[in-house]
This record gives sequence, C-alpha cells and structure tokens, in this order.
Amino acid sequence: MSMQSLNQLVARSIIDPGIVQAFTSGSMSEILDEMDLSPELRSDLGQLEARSFVEFAIKAYRIVKASEARLLEIDLPSPMAGLIPDRDYLEDDQAA
Amino acid sequence: MMTCTKNERQWFLQNIAQGLVDYLSVMRPPVPIEDLLRNPPALYDSDFGVVEMNSELWDATFARLPDQSGHVFVHSNLDPETRRFALARETLSALITSKHGQKMGLFELVEPHLRESAEFFARILLAPPRLLCRFCADDRSVMKMVADFKIPIHAASKRCEELSMA
Repeated sequence: MSMQSLNQLVARSIIDPGIVQAFTSGSMSEILDEMDLSPELRSDLGQLEARSFVEFAIKAYRIVKASEARLLEIDLPSPMAGLIPDRDYLEDDQAA
Repeated sequence: MMTCTKNERQWFLQNIAQGLVDYLSVMRPPVPIEDLLRNPPALYDSDFGVVEMNSELWDATFARLPDQSGHVFVHSNLDPETRRFALARETLSALITSKHGQKMGLFELVEPHLRESAEFFARILLAPPRLLCRFCADDRSVMKMVADFKIPIHAASKRCEELSMA
C-alpha cells in the first residue's frame, strides 16, 4: 500500500502544483500525513533531505522499496521449508 | 545533481504519465494525446500546443517561441499511430522545460537520457499499465495493442517486452 501511495503522490505532482509547493515550503509532512504510510515510513520520509521534489521522490522510492522488501522477507516461508528433514522427526526415526 | 538508476527514472516517468492519464479521465484506449496538447491542464497553458509543419528532418519536435510558449511541431503527413507516438514523446520535452517541471527537478532527471526517457514516457502515456490490465488482460499481443491503443508496431513490441519483464 505504501508504494501505491507514493505512486499516487508522484502521479498527482505533475498536475497539482500544491505538492511541489509543499515540498519547497518545507511542509511535506502535511502531504505525508494524508498518505497511507506506516508511522515509521512517515517519519523516515519526513526526515528526507532533497534539493528537488524529484530527488525527494526517488529517495522515498528507495526507502519504501527497501521497507517492502524487508516485509516480504518476513512474510515468505523459506524456500527450504519442507525440503530439509525435521531434526525431531529424524531423531524419532533413529530411536525406533 | 543526484544520481539514480534507469529503473528509478522509469518509475518516476511511469507515474507522471499515469498522472496525465488520470487527468484526462481515460476509461478506455486510445489515450487522447492530441486533446491533452490542445486542451492542457491550466498548469501547462503556455507549454502545450500543436503546430502542423512539413519538415523532412523529423516527425515531430518540441520548441519554444521567443515568447516562451511551447509547441510540438509535427509533420502533417504522418500516419495516425506515428503521429500519436511522436506527440506523446515530445510531451516530455514540454513538461521538463515548463516552469512546473523545472520546479520539480524534472529537467535534471531526464535531460542526460532525453531520447530514451521520452520514448519510454510515450509508450507508458499511450499504453498505461491500468488500461493494459483492463483491455489486454487476455491477449497482450503486439497487434492487439496496436489496434486498441493506436500506437506504432515498434512501440507495442517494446511495450510487450517491458510487460514480460515487469
């Protein structure tokens, strides 16, 4: 959802001067508050330093992408799951 | 100037192209690129325009007149698909040289890779992902894309390649 929100922000920025104005006036936090972001991401993006809105967006993209990659690592089962015999199972087998 | 990868640049370009498609409220292909240039968002009133020309040098090119108004000068005898692609491609030059585009920092992002970026932008603007999902979900062949989205074969072919890698 976060990347989708960032995509929408960039899409809006090309026709909505308010977004670039918010960036240049240092009030991006108000825009970020409207976005569907986790508190950690909102804080990380709020602290970004950039010389232009494009630079801000690219840096935000890197942060959101890295955060989503970390979430995937947590959620996905290991590809080895089910391939390596369970230690307890092996021990039971040997005891028998 | 910040450095960024091709993927990052294309991500940004894809989203601003989608922003223009959203502005046009396009529900089905083809994307009305000429309408966008002739009736632009207020922000680009003095940046978008179309002027017919007969030049053997190019299909279309973007230029600003001495009063700074921007226009795409397009060859008047192009086939409709080539014309649409050329107009979409030159739209990026209008955006990056506009006051708003410069405030955004678009010029710095795109200028070192202008040709490649403009062609990518044109492909996305004329065949945006959401419309492709809706209208080519079952058949993403080059010819279907050419027929529905009214883009040249080379652009449809490249767009199919991009979709297969996404």
